[in-house]
Amino acid sequence: MRKNTLSFRLIRHIVLFCAALFVICFGVYYSVARKNLRQSTRQNAIQLADNTVGRMEQILRPAEKIPENIAWMLESGLIPKDSALSVLTSVVRSNANIYGAMIAFEPGFFPDKGRYYAPAAFMNGDSAIRTSVLGDQSYEYFYMDWYQIPGMSHISYWSEPYYDEGGGNSLMTTYSVPFYTWEEGQKKFAGVVKVDLSLEWLTRMVSEVRILKTGYAYVLSRSGVFVTHPEQRYIMNQSIFSVAEELGRPELRDMGRAMLAGESLMIPGSNPEGEKIWTWITPIPSSKWSLAVVLPHREMYSSLREMNLILLLIVVAGLFLLSLYSIRVIEMLTRPLTQFAASARLIASGQFHTPLPEVTTQDEMKELHDSFAFMQKELATYIEHLKETTSAKEKIESELRIAREIQMGMIPHIFPPFPDLPQLGLYAMLKSAKEVGGDLYDFFMAGNKLCFAIGDVSGKGVPASLFMAVTRTLLRSVADKEHSPANIIRSLNRSLTTSNDSSMFVTFFLGMMDIETGQIDYANAGHNPPVILSPDGTISWLPRTQNPPIGLFEDADYAEATFAIRPGDKLFLYTDGVTEAENASRELFGEKRLSQELSRCSRQTPKELVSTLETTLAGHVLDWPQSDDITMMCMSLNE
Amino acid sequence: MKTAVLICTFIILCLPALPESGGTVRPAGHLTFASHWLPQAQFAGYYVAKDKGFYSEAGLNVDITHATASIDAPSLLASGKADIISLFLITGIAVRESGMDLMHFGQISQHSAIMLVARKSSGIRNVRDLDGKKIGIWKTGFDEVPRALITREGLNVQWIPVLATVNLFLMNGIDAMTVMWYNEYHQIYLSGINEDELTPFFLSEYGLDIPEDGLFCLSSTMQTRKDDLRKFLQATLKGWEYAASHRDETLNIVEERMNKAHVPCNRAHQSWMLDKMIRLITPGEKQVSQGRLLEQDYRNAWDVLHPGGNESTRLPYRAFHFSLMD
Repeated sequence: MRKNTLSFRLIRHIVLFCAALFVICFGVYYSVARKNLRQSTRQNAIQLADNTVGRMEQILRPAEKIPENIAWMLESGLIPKDSALSVLTSVVRSNANIYGAMIAFEPGFFPDKGRYYAPAAFMNGDSAIRTSVLGDQSYEYFYMDWYQIPGMSHISYWSEPYYDEGGGNSLMTTYSVPFYTWEEGQKKFAGVVKVDLSLEWLTRMVSEVRILKTGYAYVLSRSGVFVTHPEQRYIMNQSIFSVAEELGRPELRDMGRAMLAGESLMIPGSNPEGEKIWTWITPIPSSKWSLAVVLPHREMYSSLREMNLILLLIVVAGLFLLSLYSIRVIEMLTRPLTQFAASARLIASGQFHTPLPEVTTQDEMKELHDSFAFMQKELATYIEHLKETTSAKEKIESELRIAREIQMGMIPHIFPPFPDLPQLGLYAMLKSAKEVGGDLYDFFMAGNKLCFAIGDVSGKGVPASLFMAVTRTLLRSVADKEHSPANIIRSLNRSLTTSNDSSMFVTFFLGMMDIETGQIDYANAGHNPPVILSPDGTISWLPRTQNPPIGLFEDADYAEATFAIRPGDKLFLYTDGVTEAENASRELFGEKRLSQELSRCSRQTPKELVSTLETTLAGHVLDWPQSDDITMMCMSLNE
Repeated sequence: MKTAVLICTFIILCLPALPESGGTVRPAGHLTFASHWLPQAQFAGYYVAKDKGFYSEAGLNVDITHATASIDAPSLLASGKADIISLFLITGIAVRESGMDLMHFGQISQHSAIMLVARKSSGIRNVRDLDGKKIGIWKTGFDEVPRALITREGLNVQWIPVLATVNLFLMNGIDAMTVMWYNEYHQIYLSGINEDELTPFFLSEYGLDIPEDGLFCLSSTMQTRKDDLRKFLQATLKGWEYAASHRDETLNIVEERMNKAHVPCNRAHQSWMLDKMIRLITPGEKQVSQGRLLEQDYRNAWDVLHPGGNESTRLPYRAFHFSLMD
């Protein structure tokens, strides 16, 4: 798929949005699942620990009962001193976990038995039970912990576990209970009843505690010594406090103290490899030992990790399928667009009846189809109309072109006009703002006088050009009979005023120059006054007259005046298209500028002067469209 | 005191049955040294001197053995199974006075490590608070110095003999207990009792800074093998010096010895013990050089052993100690 297609962009947006949505959902799910999992795993650990402790108690509690009962019987006088051995034997015989039992009396308790008297029964081998009365100089039992502690503290006591060398080197513990006699109403310590318990069951029980993958449990004795531990070298060799010291980890010591204090807690920590672990500690109430269940933090979430992986795979696959499906759907939905694009191209090339793609749905695509169809129809009509208009316009343009040619043909345009009159210099130009214009100039010889005229018809375009043609034609015909400029103008005025329904008029200057003397008779019907230019650059304007333009008032009178030019002087005539030529800043060329330019060109020939002015005007106007017809005429009388 | 006398009596009774000291012919330069207890960091200097070759450098071939619960060091000496033994100074004096012809020729530790310790929770803050209390004391001996303190302070206490463990103290069966700074004191700590929960009484701080581990041999050995003994003492001190500056290596050596003797080894404990032994060996403010016995220390030790004794009855310093370093 191309990267810049609409489908690609749409799919990219959809997939990115879905991915973002997934990340958010996953975050929420993960934190909730993690919390729940942590709670349930911890709950499991606590449950497991409680169960294990319960099972231990099921062995320890009944074991406690035995010496307690014997002590009670001794205190009650129910066991004569000579039957002690048989009682002890039956105790050992009937209790699988009990390896030995002993009643140890205070030194010299029975004067006839000597200093030491401690009848005992214990397993000898797997099944045989041996009895013996213990105690001599090499076995002064009353200095032993199991005897001394209950004797001194008056409490029953589970001893620190120990390896019994006589008992197959197995791990043992001893429960000892003090018993008393009454002498003269005084309660007096008389000795200790003890049973020795093998702890094989404890080791087995604790090693069976399995939680998570590598979670484990261990038991600490009352002084913090490891009674069981997966690490064999710790057992009975290290206390949690020595390990804490060896590893330099005071937090382990704190945990050990909490365990010895009989607390039930979940404690965070780390194993020697530095991995985070959680330890649930709980006391074993009877022996005052403590059980710890260790949960590797990482493993607590391993099932979650598996689930995450599956979820991730599902999401990736889902996003992939979503992309595929989206591609299909979007391509299906946007296919008409491609076809519309192709149709549009064909329509643009002029094939307005190109078939549009078929749209069966009633949606935006249908709207697009209808809009296209409407556009097609409108375009066809418009183009048809345009063709007609264009051909009409072309026809008019061609006619106008012809009209222009005719108009231009009406004014003299061969220079120099009178090659046989070398003393007369003359040049003129007319530049219409449109195809045809309303300006005119003319000159011809009437007898020995040069008749010359310049005019500007009101308005522009075809009407002005027709009015100009009429004026010019009338001028020629009138000038044949009349030689007074005022009379010619009067005649022209009468003719043009008659049936002038459109109220057009023309400003007009007409002069008759005697080419021998340079005298000029003239009449000015509202036209810009011409300029007399001396060779030294001095310019003078002919005075403005009060005569109205031709064509307005039938009875208007026109005054005539006379002036003369000297040889070397030039007469410059122009229409207001020159002084009112505008540039882009709406600045007019102006009379002031005109007089400056004329002064500068005082020594040029009429042709040069008109050309220079033409160039200067072009420089002023630049690209600004010409708004009015421009006409200039210059003549000189040479010496 | 009583125990020391018992030991001495036992030895005297055994003496006639034993071969004549020095009667066994030994190759020149061969010595057997017996420590007065099972292998542990208390004797690290000897192990280091042996394992790092300080003895062999001195031209000696030393075997190291140890006393046990059933055979004590003087018996090993008397039976000729050891040429040199280590003993507490006070025990050495008692053995000598019981009639065994042994001589002191080197003093390794210069200070007393004996202390009394009580739980702060029992309200015991100073020595006077011990009055009327039950104090645990070793049944096997070394009890003279704490007894001397209590006597001197005029206190009335109930001495409770204990065998080896600190459990009776931990279980609050007794109010205070005699411990060695380098050993049982740390065992109490390793049973989860913090130091700030204990009130310690260092006997050395109560004018009873009696040196402990000393080196002894029979007079006959002294007469014939002075040179070997001197070399032994010097190499041993060198061993201690090395141990002080190479703690980890020394602990490895100790651990190996303990494993070989099937004695459970707890490195944290041995490390503590080594550290404290090195402090005890250092004379500190005492005007004595390493290996020697200060005459005043000897007199103090003798006085502790003989409460109420006087100058005229005291075994002369020169008769007890033979200085090889002069």
